[in-house]
Amino acid sequence: MARYGMALDYKNCINCRACESACKQENSILLNKDHYRIWVGVKEIEGEWPNLSIASSVFHPSQCQHCDNAPCQLVCPTNATYYDQNGVVRVNPEQCILCTYCINACPYDARYVDDRTTTVDKCNFCADTRIARGESTTACQATCPTKVRIFGDLDDPNSEISQVLSKREYKQVKESLGTKPKLFYLI
Amino acid sequence: MKVEVSRRRFLQGSVALTIAGGYAMSPSEIFASAKAKASAAGETGVKKVATLCEMCVNKCAAFAYVENGIVTKLDPNPYFPKSRNMLCPRGNAGVQALYDPDRLKYPLIRDGEKGSGKFKRVSWEEAYKYIGDKLAKILDEEEDNRSTVAFCAGEGMGEHTFKNFFTGFGSSHFLNHASLCLATTVSGYALTIGGYGQADLENADYVVMAGANRAEAIVTPDTMDFFKRTMGRGAKLVVVDPRFTHTAAKSDKWLGIKVGTDLAFVLALTYVAIKEEIYNKEFVANSFNNFEEYKNHILDNEYTPEWAEKITGIPASEIYAVAREFMAHAPRSIYYQGRRTTWSKNDFQLRRAQAIFSALGGGVDVKGGIVFGGNIPLIGHDVPGPIYDQAKSRIDKDEAAVVGGSGTWVGFRNMVLEGRAPYPIRALFNYKHNPMSNMPNSQKTAEFLKKLDLVVTIDTMPSDTVMLSDVVLPECTYLERTDPVKAFGGIEPAVVQRNKVVEPLFETKPVIEIMKGLSETVSKQLFEITKKYDEEVQAAIEEDGEESVYEDFDLTKAFHETQEELNHHAVSKYEGAADILHEKGVFYPDMDKYFKKVGVNDYVYYPENKKYYSVRNGKFNTPSGKIECKIDSLTTRGIDAMPAWKDEDYKVIPDGKFNFITGRHAQFTQSGSSNNKLLLNLVPTNYAWINKRVAVERGIKFGDLIEVTSKVGKTTIRAYPTEKIGKDTLFFIHGFGNASQELSLAHNNGGNDANILEDIIEPMHGASCLHETIVEIRKV
Repeated sequence: MARYGMALDYKNCINCRACESACKQENSILLNKDHYRIWVGVKEIEGEWPNLSIASSVFHPSQCQHCDNAPCQLVCPTNATYYDQNGVVRVNPEQCILCTYCINACPYDARYVDDRTTTVDKCNFCADTRIARGESTTACQATCPTKVRIFGDLDDPNSEISQVLSKREYKQVKESLGTKPKLFYLI
Repeated sequence: MKVEVSRRRFLQGSVALTIAGGYAMSPSEIFASAKAKASAAGETGVKKVATLCEMCVNKCAAFAYVENGIVTKLDPNPYFPKSRNMLCPRGNAGVQALYDPDRLKYPLIRDGEKGSGKFKRVSWEEAYKYIGDKLAKILDEEEDNRSTVAFCAGEGMGEHTFKNFFTGFGSSHFLNHASLCLATTVSGYALTIGGYGQADLENADYVVMAGANRAEAIVTPDTMDFFKRTMGRGAKLVVVDPRFTHTAAKSDKWLGIKVGTDLAFVLALTYVAIKEEIYNKEFVANSFNNFEEYKNHILDNEYTPEWAEKITGIPASEIYAVAREFMAHAPRSIYYQGRRTTWSKNDFQLRRAQAIFSALGGGVDVKGGIVFGGNIPLIGHDVPGPIYDQAKSRIDKDEAAVVGGSGTWVGFRNMVLEGRAPYPIRALFNYKHNPMSNMPNSQKTAEFLKKLDLVVTIDTMPSDTVMLSDVVLPECTYLERTDPVKAFGGIEPAVVQRNKVVEPLFETKPVIEIMKGLSETVSKQLFEITKKYDEEVQAAIEEDGEESVYEDFDLTKAFHETQEELNHHAVSKYEGAADILHEKGVFYPDMDKYFKKVGVNDYVYYPENKKYYSVRNGKFNTPSGKIECKIDSLTTRGIDAMPAWKDEDYKVIPDGKFNFITGRHAQFTQSGSSNNKLLLNLVPTNYAWINKRVAVERGIKFGDLIEVTSKVGKTTIRAYPTEKIGKDTLFFIHGFGNASQELSLAHNNGGNDANILEDIIEPMHGASCLHETIVEIRKV
């Protein structure tokens, strides 16, 4: 029993997409267009060359926020979406009927239809791959060149993620929706 | 039985490579082959093997997971201080390189017009024999002038092995990527401060990265160390680049410079430092040679920021600010050296000026500056280097002021094409190198390859160069071989070894076995030619007998031991090292004491007081032992003793045209990864960056196809209108637009810069200037 979350030192992100590449390889994601569990958000830069706003060019690594109060779970008519014993929002392929209510409900745009498992898939913190094998890191965390991610147990006060969150300021995405996301962006 | 097999092959006749090489194979068939290999080797269950990545040049340590003989995943290996427990997107995509259905699988001999793509599958023995007979004929006709056969190689751990064959063969011509990449920077820094060194980005407080793009062109450990500290977290970063790169996105200041004018920028920084006397006076007094002359040169020429503003487009106020801030943070300030750097004809002088400016702050051989680091010596092994009396010296030796052991590739090629070589160049051995893609003006490269009587290419993929070869020898990928053990010097030195993860698929072999097999077939045959023409050898035989003389010319000698045996020997003075390298892939003295995991992402490799920051004791590895401001010996070769701006450095871009620049991003390594399925899933093609306002004027929208034309050729590519590039500049990523039809994903995918780049070389090393080409565009 744990309550898994992830802290992201997002200022480290260089948008190299090693995380996306490792995620695909680890979790056997089909190499189809629009099949990805994680991504790096970018915006069009502001200004005109050579007067450009550096501040407008932010790399925002993202994935399922593993909400404690997940809208996707609330709307799922077959309970295919569930919280596992570690608080990870998971999808049971046996029960998913591809109604895609979850895709519409997710405020983070974290879900997609996987053509391999015909499931509305999403990040599961490598629960059925690395964590199931006894690893302590997700694929995206382990591979990251600049070490953006810290994955760990939020209920364990001695875990590195708990320590970091107790010491550093952070923000959460669309917190006001009441989703209680478990991704924390360190400032 | 043997006859029958040959007959069947004969009946297949002249068919396209697709059939002859079995290219129609699906991924599932590849896996089936892999499984068959694994079960033959008795591999079951899951194992973890320490390897080193070869998806680019960095050699990051990785662990490969093998399930029932199939490599399923590559994970970072935390033990290597240089790669710091990470794998970039390309590193993760190594599995796709191994199981790429388009791989070269069998030895092939051309069976149609050169470039027709027609090959026939042959056995290794047939291939070796074919090469031997061709070489014997050529050498007989050229009277044993071994230099008629040239050798070239791409960067990689096997280059050393390939070079052992070259050394035994006795040609003067070795060519590699240096003159297409970083020759000018390496020598610019080496001749000035005594080494290219390592930028200590873990400790520097102020860094100028000009043209270098460490967020996209990943270099270890620089990329990992630095971007944890930028954006107000310890290190200030100034990016000087005609493009707004991902590195610029991490900077405190980005200065959009006019292409090819960096030298004026650096000279003006130097002017400010000297004029305002804000340089490190103590360091300069103790460690500079000819400073007074350089000072007067800079001041007398009035390299002021106001002067530089007109050339570079960077406001004088910014130049003053950068120079002052740089010196205020010195000695923990670095003008970053850069890697793929030969942009303009003045590149060598640019790198000299950078090195001198950086050193003015005293940031050389100190923590937070450019450091030289420590090393872990390995034991070498002897390879025969016979002397052939008939072998002539390099043809390209006068194409530039200093042509070293890796030549001037473009200069060499052009001499052969233009008939300027003093004797014919008739054959080329090519290892893991793709001149068709990596050298400017691919039309000329094609003509050059066609002109040669014999082109032997050793590679893993059917590259554009493979398609213009006569004999193709398929190497296995890096996950299928053990490579030479290698020591990486630096602040935290370590020895690393790439261990074989799985058995080679198909009939592929590691380069060491290829060179061994080839040597065994051709060594005696070629010695016969030497006997015929070499009077020294004839005299020696008369005196000592043939057997004894042949000993020195025996090409097989370099390949008597296996790679595993050679590696074992190389580290034999460190107790237990061979076993540790086999298990962990990494070794350094006291690793067991020093290596610690200190956080979920963090490791300590060396205690702070054991790191190699300062090693020179105030004596630099230059002729005077000091920082060289002035190198008089170069003037006899037409190279200025001190960096100076020349009138010819001004470049005018005609209205409506663009200065073309090229580069890299983090998802691809040149043409070597252009067919990788996972990477193409991340980035499906390359795009031409064109200024948004210019694109609007010309009616070009995102994704529109445009034709880019230069003096030497053209290419077609999709447009990406953006403000991240200036109005007179056009950019796209190198390595795309491959012509080879056997690369099913890379074929004709995107634009090919080698088609449009002009083959201009700079005067110091004959290195290829990659940012000198003017292009026009047309919507198609």
